[in-house]
Amino acid sequence: MPAFSARLWFSRDLREVRLFLQKAKSTTKKTADKAKLKGLLYPAVIFVIILTQLPFLLTIVFSSINWNLLKPADRQFVGLENYATVFSSGDLIPALIATITMTTMAVVSSLLLGLLFALLLDRKFKGRALARTLIITPFLVMPAAAALSWKFSMFDTNIGAVNYFAGLLGLPEPAWITDYPMVSIVIVLAWQFTPFMMLILLAGLQSQDQEVLEAAAVDGSSTWKTFQLITMPHLRVYFEIAILLGTIILLQVFDPIAILTKGTGGTKTLSYLLYERAFIGLNVGEAAAYGVIVVVITIVLATLALRTLFSVFTRGVRA
Amino acid sequence: MAAVEFVNATRTYEGTKQPAVDDLNLHINDGEFLVLVGPSGCGKSTSLRMLAGLEPVDGGSIRIGERDVTSIAPKDRDVAMVFQNYALYPHMTVAENMAFALKIQKVSKSEINKRVQDAAKLLDLEPYLDRRPKALSGGQRQRVAMGRAIVREPQVFLMDEPLSNLDAKLRVQTRTQIAELQRRLGVTTVYVTHDQVEAMTMGDRVALLLDGVLQQVDTPRALYESPSNAFVAGFIGSPAMSLVSSSIADGNAVVAGFPIPIERSAINNLNNAKSVMVGMRPEDLTVNAEGIPMEIDLVEELGADAYLYGKTPSEVGAPVSLIVRVPGDTKLTRGSRVKVKPTRTYLFEDSPTGKRLT
Repeated sequence: MPAFSARLWFSRDLREVRLFLQKAKSTTKKTADKAKLKGLLYPAVIFVIILTQLPFLLTIVFSSINWNLLKPADRQFVGLENYATVFSSGDLIPALIATITMTTMAVVSSLLLGLLFALLLDRKFKGRALARTLIITPFLVMPAAAALSWKFSMFDTNIGAVNYFAGLLGLPEPAWITDYPMVSIVIVLAWQFTPFMMLILLAGLQSQDQEVLEAAAVDGSSTWKTFQLITMPHLRVYFEIAILLGTIILLQVFDPIAILTKGTGGTKTLSYLLYERAFIGLNVGEAAAYGVIVVVITIVLATLALRTLFSVFTRGVRA
Repeated sequence: MAAVEFVNATRTYEGTKQPAVDDLNLHINDGEFLVLVGPSGCGKSTSLRMLAGLEPVDGGSIRIGERDVTSIAPKDRDVAMVFQNYALYPHMTVAENMAFALKIQKVSKSEINKRVQDAAKLLDLEPYLDRRPKALSGGQRQRVAMGRAIVREPQVFLMDEPLSNLDAKLRVQTRTQIAELQRRLGVTTVYVTHDQVEAMTMGDRVALLLDGVLQQVDTPRALYESPSNAFVAGFIGSPAMSLVSSSIADGNAVVAGFPIPIERSAINNLNNAKSVMVGMRPEDLTVNAEGIPMEIDLVEELGADAYLYGKTPSEVGAPVSLIVRVPGDTKLTRGSRVKVKPTRTYLFEDSPTGKRLT
């Protein structure tokens, strides 16, 4: 019976592995065994390194090469020259300012709107499930599609819905994208990221112990005081996660800028500048240098974000 | 401090026909310790939450002292509540937890400090004032919840099964502490529990509920001595009273062939019914030459006393369970057959909540 013997063989094999592991555990001082155990991990570690670190290493390599796609023959190692160009070009500081302004405005506005909707959707009412689904849809729309529909059906001076309603109400009808490029992009981003913030904050609200809220009510606390003194402290960690994750995603935003303003009117963020240097300026080396700078900023923020996440998890374990 | 009164108070949950609390009329005296007790789903917690304002009142009204609080928000009722899971504010220290209500009332800092210190001393919480609830044991959390109620100096204390999350030993210990504390503070207290021992040992009076309906409210002694119906009789007392549905023959209730005489007054109350519910407490049954035959299933030895758990043999009709108290040095064992004679019986109409006849 081959099937049976195969199973027998397999189970014996498993037992051997277990015995080996037990032995290894009991004699961890034997460095040879330890090394053997660690050796089992290397394939996975190498795979992860190839998948995540190689592209970044390549970007660093590119950033030290003078490489213009128009002159493919003229490729050579130039050290930090690309970084020197980047820092002296006068593009970096405005791009940094644009990135920070856009990210801050988008994060803050989507966070506030997200909190508002989270509070509304935390209540019980008929059709709550439907309302929740609807409120999440902007987050599911492709960024480019969202930017396009805002560009034409909302902001357009002739056919846009925003100015149509502004006209009905007798309000001024500006050329949104031309007159307020930054505000227009932030509106699109806030529209897209409100659901993201809302989901995180709603999870926070739903994880709150209802008995605690009742205790506060019996203790004489008004709804507003309870929100301020009990709910907000409870939501603090959720705010931290929302802000940090939101910031990391919004730092890399590209689609609405490319579609609405093409980086004009002070909306040329680092990621759009990078795109321009690579695909319009065709200067791979310089674009890679910008890329490295963006990655460094993002890594700093991601480290902070991960730390917050871990503190939330350990808190959950301890509670 | 104030008296509390439920007047025809009714609460029906959405989507249910039967009210969770049905036409509750209950007067709780100023300074009294009243225990609401009953099996799960009997409406005891709902009644308490109605009094706290956490549950709306669908009919009737509730008064605290001179005030009708039926439609007053919880925060304005001046009641303090201890929750089953304590509901401590997780991000505040023990001291902040206790001070929370006072801070909202804008009591002066020195006064808050004084009251928190006093409560902490009373409850042995002084070493833990700077800790968060997470870093406390179950018993300590329970005491913080008590402290949070005490510092308020409210008109009424409400306690919703505050001991159910403690281990058995701590529960007995805390039970006495709470009762003693309440006597000392003299604050009207409504205490909810499903444990009849807790109810009997703590309450000045005990209100027993079943399916949202108040069955009886009286002192623990009176509930035990003169239950108003079969449900009360079976619920109060441990081990429980044996309740046996028996046929009537020649003015006697017949339990497994053994006739128990029915008093004349009870016969008048019977309205020609064919059967009657006979209740016998374990201590009212004695092993005797003549009596109800019983086959012992289990002997529970508790030292001074022992309880015989058994059934009537099947030869004399459908078996019924009986519990008999005997002296602790009994020689009886599992499987032996005895006869037991009731020295005192309670007679009820023949239904689970049948009315008392004698």
